[in-house]
Amino acid sequence: MSEEVLRTEHISKSFGRVAALRDASIQLAKGEVLGLLGDNGAGKSTLMKILTGFHKPDSGKLYFQSKEVELRSVSHARSLGIEPVYQDLALINELSVYRNMFLQREIMHGGILRILNDGAMREHARDHLDEMGVNVPSVDVEISKLSGGQRQAIAVARSVYANAKVLLLDEPTAAMGVRESAIILDLIRRLKEKGEVSIIIVAHNYAHIFDVCDRVSLLQNGEITFDRLTKETSVEELMNLVLHELRSARERISRS
Amino acid sequence: MYKKEVQFLSNPIKWLIPTNKGMKRINLPPGVSNSYGVVSRREALRRAAAAGALISLSPLAGFGVSNAEAAEEALGKFPKHPQWKFVFVSHVTTNPFWVPLRYGAEDACALLGTSFQWTGSEKSLATEMVNAFNTAVSAKADGIAVALVDPSAFNDPVEKALAAGIPVVSYNADAKGNKRLCYIGQDLFLSGKALGQRIVEAVGEGEVAGFIATPGQLNIQPRMDGAREAIKESGKNIKLEEIATGPTVNEELSRIQAYYTGHPDIKGMFAVDAGSTEGVGKTMAANKLHEKGVHAGGFDLLPTTLDAISKGDLDFTIDQQPYLQGFYTIMVLFVYKISGGLSGLSDINTGLKFITKGNVDPYLSTQSRFEGSSSQEKVLTRSGPIS
Amino acid sequence: MPGDKVDSLLPRQEPVRRVERHSLARRVGLFLLHSREASIAIAALVLVVYFWSTAPAFLSIGNVANLAEYAATTAIIAAGEVMVIICAEVDLSAGMVYALAPFVMYFAHEAGVPFGLAILSALVVAAIVGTINGFVTVVLQIPSFITTLGTLFVINGFTLTISNGYPVQPKGTPLVSNIFGGNPISQISWAIGITLALQFVLNKTRWGLHTIATGGNLLGAAEVGIKVGVIKMGNFILCSVLGGLAGILDAFRISSIDPLAGGTDIMFMAIASSVIGGTLLTGGSGTVIGAFLGAAVLGILKNGFTLSGVSAFTFDMILGAAILVTMVINVRLSQLRAAGGNG
Repeated sequence: MSEEVLRTEHISKSFGRVAALRDASIQLAKGEVLGLLGDNGAGKSTLMKILTGFHKPDSGKLYFQSKEVELRSVSHARSLGIEPVYQDLALINELSVYRNMFLQREIMHGGILRILNDGAMREHARDHLDEMGVNVPSVDVEISKLSGGQRQAIAVARSVYANAKVLLLDEPTAAMGVRESAIILDLIRRLKEKGEVSIIIVAHNYAHIFDVCDRVSLLQNGEITFDRLTKETSVEELMNLVLHELRSARERISRS
Repeated sequence: MYKKEVQFLSNPIKWLIPTNKGMKRINLPPGVSNSYGVVSRREALRRAAAAGALISLSPLAGFGVSNAEAAEEALGKFPKHPQWKFVFVSHVTTNPFWVPLRYGAEDACALLGTSFQWTGSEKSLATEMVNAFNTAVSAKADGIAVALVDPSAFNDPVEKALAAGIPVVSYNADAKGNKRLCYIGQDLFLSGKALGQRIVEAVGEGEVAGFIATPGQLNIQPRMDGAREAIKESGKNIKLEEIATGPTVNEELSRIQAYYTGHPDIKGMFAVDAGSTEGVGKTMAANKLHEKGVHAGGFDLLPTTLDAISKGDLDFTIDQQPYLQGFYTIMVLFVYKISGGLSGLSDINTGLKFITKGNVDPYLSTQSRFEGSSSQEKVLTRSGPIS
Repeated sequence: MPGDKVDSLLPRQEPVRRVERHSLARRVGLFLLHSREASIAIAALVLVVYFWSTAPAFLSIGNVANLAEYAATTAIIAAGEVMVIICAEVDLSAGMVYALAPFVMYFAHEAGVPFGLAILSALVVAAIVGTINGFVTVVLQIPSFITTLGTLFVINGFTLTISNGYPVQPKGTPLVSNIFGGNPISQISWAIGITLALQFVLNKTRWGLHTIATGGNLLGAAEVGIKVGVIKMGNFILCSVLGGLAGILDAFRISSIDPLAGGTDIMFMAIASSVIGGTLLTGGSGTVIGAFLGAAVLGILKNGFTLSGVSAFTFDMILGAAILVTMVINVRLSQLRAAGGNG
């Protein structure tokens, strides 16, 4: 069993009277890919925001590399190696691939004149993307000219290059076609093979989940109600759980 | 067959804008006015065809492109001479005050076979005026007339123009220490004193407002200073408050109205420029101030100003005869050029005439180029003794 | 590992590592063609040729000097505006700081401060205005259009008040006057120097990169950890300081400090220069060299038409039409470039 890299115990968070999370306990091992399922309003994004350090939980504990930790801020989380890859990808359309890769972590020429070292950045970007198997025509291309899947891949590659230990991907394949999704799923599989980075993916597409995830958890009403290795469960089982929830919700509505 | 098309393609703008090719001395067709002197019939037809409606719309639209091949003219008893082009640099090019001045310049040009370009700044920006001035020098204008509204900005440019052999005169406003050859316009300080004396006579005592479009500008500030001086000399207890109204006519009216609203006990409202005077007249009428015994007066003969005088809202206005400023300036430059610099230069005082209810009627009943209210060329008659 | 055959739903494209270095000549050619500035430079050239053909005096030394002086100060203010516009903001008050700064310099000098310090204090005051613009926009979250509209009027009123509405003459030793705009070479040197320096900052420094990021994707830039507030504030200060500097240069050029100087006209021309030069008003993309060329184009148009003898009234109509035509050409060339550059 590989070492544990991230664990939450009974996290709860409320906003005013709305209880977004009641009891969320998840764990993540090194090199593992965890799929997080759940309906809208179930608490997925709240959980992600707590993991990135954006929100502080009302109660519960968070363990990073088996040590209890309190995330003070997003930058604190980032410094530990917990990196979110946002939906808008935090990419700048007008900038090239390599400039986006190194945004906020630019390589400078030495000396007093802090000039960007484009040559070094280009080379490192090229090498890194090659290594990750991410296909772009050139690192000088503007991000806006790439496909959705390529951009997502670059966003991920950027975090990996920054030595992220835990990547939090929020619906990486939403609004993407098959071809595009394949690019990002490929990348995730390659990262998995390398075994350095652990990934939590929030997703809705069962096919994608079962394609790349080692484990899958289901968040319902602020609680983790299901947590199993993907090879020990099936799409059918997950679907039944979700349908059951849908039916109970319908009954509640017809009764009231 | 395709000459016109070729002409157009090779120089589209020039095709649209009339040139001075083929000048002949004839009478202008009625209704056609332009910023040049003489126009041939063929030329006039061409213009009408090219930009018909625009030309007949307003005499203020001075279309004009100079042509390097100046025609040689022989008018009156003068020998043939090149069609000299003079450049007027103004500080508020679109202000209605200039209309009679430009008519004066046009008429003089027609008389003498010369032409002029009207340029400068719209909003009293000294940098723009200096640019326009320097451009005229680069274009090797035959003479430049500039309104010296800034005490120092034009000193260097004028020197450079003179060094390049271009005569420079000032009109409408003058600056001490500037090397211009002569000044054509009103004696501004004296006209201000005359204004001040009138204020003293009319108001006697109390608070009065003096509106000025752009303080510090040498075409109007000396008037305010003169008024202040005259009031001081009289020893009367009159407090003159100077208020800036802005270089554009719209602004001026709102500011004057706003000032009155804040000072309803004012004894008199006076102005030292055309736009402000018009604004004062309108404000006096809008608030029926004449009936309340408030006095008012100003400068220049804008049509609404004259109306206000006949209705009694303004006590007087002072005419600086802008028509003459345009007319004589061209005369001065022409004689200078044709005499090779031997003659022509002379300071010309274009006058200081008070227009009051008593003598405003002829101004109202006639519309003429001399006041700027009409573009038509006509002979005006008068009868009776001259008072 | 590179080259590994990984199970993928996608057919492998050509290898990522391809020869990216063309010959120098080809690179220069491609650069010129692809650069945003190419189209506006071509437009400027076309105009120069046109005006020179209709009025040979256009290229006389005297006229070029005159033209350069006009375009120089507009270009300096435009350089500052470009940085602000790239951040997806705008500074409408630059023209008023242009009028204020020379007065501050004048009054400081009258109070006995030596020239160098007087000019410095004028620029410091300009920087304060920029700080106010930045603070209200970033911290109080007022849209910069409104913020700078407010400061526009405040500064204008302030200038009129401290000057009492009267213009004054700048006092300066010939040395000071010559360095700070008293002659065409000085003016054009400042303009070119500032343009090149800022273009360098934009392309090759962190500040420039982060400015583009802030304007291109504010949220994204913030998420990556860029201090977007600092970036915006800094660029506002830069723009105001450049506006003040331009005012001082022009004051020495015409030997007159006028409270009515500059104002909205020059601010408008500066922003127009930036846009004509290829800076998008929506932010995230811009070029300082383009703004310089844009100012040159506007200067060429104004100067050229005046030289040709166009009178004041038709002037504006023709200028407006010419700007539109120039922009249409510019945009068309850009579109051709974008279409050609793709793929």
